[in-house]
Amino acid sequence: MTVRSDIETTAPAGEARHGRASTLRRREARAGYLFLTPTAILFLVFIAGPLVGGIVLSLYSWDMFSSPEYIGIRNFERLMDDPQAIAAIRNTFVFTFWSVVLHLVPGLLLALAVNRAMARPLDYFLRTSYFFPMLVSWAAVALIWSYILDPNFGFITYYLKRLGFEDAPVFLIDPDWAMPAVIAVDFWKTIGFTFIILLAGLQGIPTQLYEAASVDGAGTLRRFWNITIPMLSPTLFFATVITFIGAFQIFEPMYIMTRGGPGDRTLTIVMHVYETGFRRFEMGYASALALVVFVVIMIVTLLQVRLSRYWVFHE
Amino acid sequence: MALDRQVRTARWRGLRRTGDWTLDLFLVALALLILTPFYWMLVNSLLPRAEAFSLPPVWIPSSITLDNYVEVFDTLPFVRLVLNSLKLTVIITAGALITSTLAAYAFARLQFPGRDLLFIILLSALMVPQQVTVIPTFILIRNLGLLDTHEAVYLPALINVFGTFLLRQFFLSIPRDLEDAARIDGAGHLRILWNVIVPLSAPALSALAIFIALAAWNEFFWANIFLTSPDKMTLPVGLVMLSGRFGTGSPVVTLAALSMLVVPLLILFAIAQRKITESVAMSGLKG
Repeated sequence: MTVRSDIETTAPAGEARHGRASTLRRREARAGYLFLTPTAILFLVFIAGPLVGGIVLSLYSWDMFSSPEYIGIRNFERLMDDPQAIAAIRNTFVFTFWSVVLHLVPGLLLALAVNRAMARPLDYFLRTSYFFPMLVSWAAVALIWSYILDPNFGFITYYLKRLGFEDAPVFLIDPDWAMPAVIAVDFWKTIGFTFIILLAGLQGIPTQLYEAASVDGAGTLRRFWNITIPMLSPTLFFATVITFIGAFQIFEPMYIMTRGGPGDRTLTIVMHVYETGFRRFEMGYASALALVVFVVIMIVTLLQVRLSRYWVFHE
Repeated sequence: MALDRQVRTARWRGLRRTGDWTLDLFLVALALLILTPFYWMLVNSLLPRAEAFSLPPVWIPSSITLDNYVEVFDTLPFVRLVLNSLKLTVIITAGALITSTLAAYAFARLQFPGRDLLFIILLSALMVPQQVTVIPTFILIRNLGLLDTHEAVYLPALINVFGTFLLRQFFLSIPRDLEDAARIDGAGHLRILWNVIVPLSAPALSALAIFIALAAWNEFFWANIFLTSPDKMTLPVGLVMLSGRFGTGSPVVTLAALSMLVVPLLILFAIAQRKITESVAMSGLKG
């Protein structure tokens, strides 16, 4: 993200026009502040205010009914000893790692495969099918999949057994398989996004580069490593960051399909924030947990701004 | 777009080999596999209660019934849920478009002290997800007496930092000469924005509208926390809490309700795929 600044060079104001010019400038400034007012109010009330409020609240113990009690950093000390919080942080990183790997590698392969000469209807059909689950709400997706993976009538376990895997797991209930199952459902739902943006990135690579490389005798693999990857690096980088940030806040599939179970195996940080804040009403502790999410996302975002200068090829 | 496609076709034509047909076949098989859960949902929602969810699963139904669909309206406040979702989606989309357009115009076109600093501060809000602000906002909303109201859901959604950024970049790309005529006529900034900038930005605005509307229509996390009574709930919250995993009633009825959601969406998407994917992918291209 580059912030373009386009400060106008003010025209040399003649003596006579000076008064009129400054009136215009004042009017322009007034319009500027006026146009920003709705955004500024909403920003203060619903983003900046709550962020500061959350930091303050993380230093308190408060159940929303009695008066809040200042306890310093005790919420953060508790976080280090809370087996649920530790499980949630570990699960969130595991989920995020697999989410990033699965979205980027198969996502790129899929984009490369579709980015070939093919009949237009086929191209349209593939894009539509791969992208469609992305448009369906998590609520609907998680409900459908919780039935597909149901212990009684789920057809995936049934077919696995028919294929000879006698001890095929009941995915959402098996402690070792619940997380892989959620990762797989998330992959199915959101791969379309990575696919589409990588495909758009591939199509933005100038054809001449490939032609020139071919003339120089570069093979398919060389062209891939020396043209496709560098030219695609801004998109790849963006996809990595977006997938990371999205995965780190994951909530719905666990909340709806597994409730964080079995035995906290799919509990994520945001789920833990939800349970702590809105089930147990420990607002201070929940705020401390939420800050973990904020700090990690902030670090990744700032790293993105820094690292993209080194990793990403810019023309 | 068309030119783009020709160029791409030309680029790869020379590379096509016989092996490509098996790859095409694989890609089609994968696409069908991806759509299978939706097909299974639709088939089971149309089966008589006794036959639904049987194993091996029914893939080609011999007889179908709409009983489950009728029951959706008996057991769920389905119409109310749809209306609630529509209402919130319209308010959020229109509201966020207006605030983003105004702010983007100020950042792109107007001179005033502190403009670039304010823009950086606003952009930094992209690092603050809703999951982080939800607890203090919950307390605020409770103190305002707005728990379990639609205001609690749409008010925080009226600001769209990403949309503001996107529109600002788009407005910057519009040549200033186009506004000169209006300026000479003495048009105010609101007039210039509405008569010149907005019509020229129709592609960006419509893409952003699709993006915001989809997110609002599908939103679960926030609405699930703030809306607790069934007549206030949105579709995603209502389906999960009232019928699905947490509610009562037969899973077949839930599948029927889901089909009524998913099938029209699929038809709409099959028609308008390019516009919709472009609006979602836009974030990737501009990043």
